[in-house]
Amino acid sequence: MMGREAALALLEKALGYSEAQETDIYLSAQDLALSRFAGGAIHQNVAHSNIVMNIRSVTGKRLGRATTNDLSDAGVRKAVEAAHQNALLMPEDPAFAGLPQPSQAAKVDSFDEATALCSPETRAQIVRGVCLQGKEHDLNVSGACRTGVQEIAVVSSHGARAYHAGTFAGLIINTMSGDSAGWAKGGSWRLSDMDTEALGREAVSKAVDGREPVAIEPGRYPVVLDTYAVDDILEALSLYGMGAQAVQEGRSWMNDYLNSQGPTGDQAMSPSVTIWDDGSSSRGWPVPFDAEGVPRRRVDIITKGVVNTPVHNSYTAGKEGTVSTGHQAYFTGGPIASNLFMGEGGSSLEELIGSTERGIYITRFFYTRLAHSKGCVMTGMTRDGTFMIENGRITHPVKDLRFTQSYVEALAGVEHIGSESKLVLNEVGFATRVPALKLSSFNFTGVTV
Amino acid sequence: MPMDDFLSRALDLAAMKGASYCDVRLVETNQERFVVRTGVVDTISNDESLGIGVRVLVNGSWGFASTNIITPAEVDRATSLAVEIALASAQSSNGPVSLGPPVTSQGVYTTPVSIDPFSISSEDKLGLLLEADRRMGTVKGISARTGNLIFSKEHKTFVNSEGAHVEQTIYEAGGGIMATARGNGEVQRRSYPQSMRQQGCAGWEFVDAMDLAGNAERTATEAVDLLSADHCPAGVTTLIVGASQLGLQIHESCGHAIELDRVLGSEAAYAGTSFLTTDKLNNFQYGSEQVNITADSVRLPGLGSYGWDDEGVPAQSTPVVEAGRFVGYLTSRETASGLGLQSNGSMRAASWNRIPLIRMTNVSLEPGNWTLDDLIADTDDGILMEMNRSWSIDDRRYNFQFGTEIGYEIKKGKLGKILRNCTYTGITPEFWNSCDAVCNDAHWTMWGIPNCGKGQPGQLGHTGHGAAPARFRNIQVGVMK
Repeated sequence: MMGREAALALLEKALGYSEAQETDIYLSAQDLALSRFAGGAIHQNVAHSNIVMNIRSVTGKRLGRATTNDLSDAGVRKAVEAAHQNALLMPEDPAFAGLPQPSQAAKVDSFDEATALCSPETRAQIVRGVCLQGKEHDLNVSGACRTGVQEIAVVSSHGARAYHAGTFAGLIINTMSGDSAGWAKGGSWRLSDMDTEALGREAVSKAVDGREPVAIEPGRYPVVLDTYAVDDILEALSLYGMGAQAVQEGRSWMNDYLNSQGPTGDQAMSPSVTIWDDGSSSRGWPVPFDAEGVPRRRVDIITKGVVNTPVHNSYTAGKEGTVSTGHQAYFTGGPIASNLFMGEGGSSLEELIGSTERGIYITRFFYTRLAHSKGCVMTGMTRDGTFMIENGRITHPVKDLRFTQSYVEALAGVEHIGSESKLVLNEVGFATRVPALKLSSFNFTGVTV
Repeated sequence: MPMDDFLSRALDLAAMKGASYCDVRLVETNQERFVVRTGVVDTISNDESLGIGVRVLVNGSWGFASTNIITPAEVDRATSLAVEIALASAQSSNGPVSLGPPVTSQGVYTTPVSIDPFSISSEDKLGLLLEADRRMGTVKGISARTGNLIFSKEHKTFVNSEGAHVEQTIYEAGGGIMATARGNGEVQRRSYPQSMRQQGCAGWEFVDAMDLAGNAERTATEAVDLLSADHCPAGVTTLIVGASQLGLQIHESCGHAIELDRVLGSEAAYAGTSFLTTDKLNNFQYGSEQVNITADSVRLPGLGSYGWDDEGVPAQSTPVVEAGRFVGYLTSRETASGLGLQSNGSMRAASWNRIPLIRMTNVSLEPGNWTLDDLIADTDDGILMEMNRSWSIDDRRYNFQFGTEIGYEIKKGKLGKILRNCTYTGITPEFWNSCDAVCNDAHWTMWGIPNCGKGQPGQLGHTGHGAAPARFRNIQVGVMK
């Protein structure tokens, strides 16, 4: 771990090497340790440290980039010069309004020393514990336990000086019998927040209850989606349309619901659905500013089912005469809503299942991909725990199903929303806090062997 | 200190700390990226990465650590951490790892290129993209245009405690364009040469031969035409899968299924397992007699081409499916040893800070005897689908569904109108057993896939897939509603 002073000193030094009109430098440093297990034993166990400097150099309305992890004077100078030379190659971009001006981000607390210092032995103890839980039920247990530190810092020739360090901890557990599987996933910025034994119980119970699954006919069914499946919906809606670049290029599912007539768009989902992005909320995995150093503002993306606005970086905001919402998640690419929340409702999971006369309880989706951008039509599989609901109770496990379904239409059919939400921290820095949902209809188009 | 001294320093320290095996990779990568979006240069970037990764076996268990700071102190720290991690692994072990016979490879390999891509000026590269973008922009109805070029050079030195010492320089070059059309309440896209981009282990000549600008207007026109095309009908029909789409079909339904680490459960919690369990080796009809699939790391410009894998095992060619019968896996030293086999050199790491995993090399469907014209003429009723738009497959690689950018109706042996929103679905062995014709080598192309996700922490692998159009009978198509 570098620490604030060392990170900012390195960036200041690099900034001093630049003679460009405008320059900003984004530092991303990660110390990651991950213990992977399969068959009840650790089979891969790794640690890495990397510090990457991402440089943007501006001349007029031209912006060049370079990236390096060579932090020697020569390495840094070379990268700064490369960014400048790349800028000189660019044609002028009239829509480029310059690098963002500095503004102060709210301080968020997401660093835990015990998590940062977590030893390989501690991770091995966690692994042994969950493997024992599976062994008691004759299940093959696999998964991954990770801990680490993510540091980001931004300096710019406009005077931006920002640094943040956050820790992360995650545990994924997969349990398998000959004909069933279960899954659980926990994550937080504090290792001690994760109840690893409870996660083990969750993964074990799904595999135990899932034995002897029955194949059912594909078709439309009401569904109860547990939180991991809802996380998948929010991730897809984000990746395929909640960023302003996709909207401006006309390839977002939001395009059909946004218009220039008023401050908000049209009704796309059930009035009970409200979705927002908030990088500074301690209920998520908070990161106070983005890769441009811009504070991550809360953005109300869907309010009571009405589409409001996508998230912006400084470039997409400049094109629309507005300001960045702080959603440049990575050095390149468009803005991404990566700290998403869905508002909770008033029903317990049992009540969601109890309200279903005949339907399917889905704990998780797998390998979901965009089939069509209009309506965000996705295809994917159920996995690791899929059950039939009859007369308000779970009656038997079912074989995994393929679905082809518009996620927008699915959320138009929300009947009930769970009262409790779960933080789902994904590997690429993407976090959602989501409740379970009861949907009126979901389209299953196939069944696996 | 010469770079080689850091490698031997790590080997020596690992041995001193009790490692029974150690390998060290020093990797330096240089990459150039160019992106143009609808008339605007979005990205010109030079990306450099340098680091060292140390992998050890201590008490029969694995540990790995890496660092981007190449100093004696940091190399010592990473090596000591790898040993500490291995000791922790040994606390939760199913027995000592066996690697089989020692690997003592020596030598130097460089991707053969006609024109070093880094010798071409950035102006020329950008000019190529801007011209392709301009030509796409001449077509009315296009809402967004993108073009991208990528060039990389990876210099890698591998040593192990068994005496191996190999040095490789791998070049890659790639590019592609895409046009998005919006209208009539619809959004459609077309790409060239394939979705995202075509990429290979090659030099500038590979990109130059694509003729991105020469194909730009046609690509954009097809995107607009798709807005008003008929929808792909739903039903069961004869399907001709175009070469680039078939490349991804091979990748998902064969390439991943033959990774022996998946088969043995190493990837169960993340990507999944495989239906090709070890009892099926030499004992399972994976496809029809028309289906011959080979995994090789020597067939350029495949993205899975190299001199040695990241365990120092030489590049080679392995039959996977012979006349439909399943005969071979992709293996590592550890997994091959478990089956009494020797590694076929399929272990690769995405970077210095990742461990090697079994990755697809160039997994290819060998060409058949048909010309595409003859194959279409021989098809009374069906659909030709080409160029991937979406892909999904279950965790055992059985149930898949693909969507393509474009389809063509086939009626009475002739190509008819274009179709939009084409999809097909199936179960892997049923699908490959329904193959009754494969086109010849004149239609065969080595496709590159540079974004194959696997492992935790995640790794993006680069794989090659040679394919020619092939015909499949009784396939479910039109699965959109």
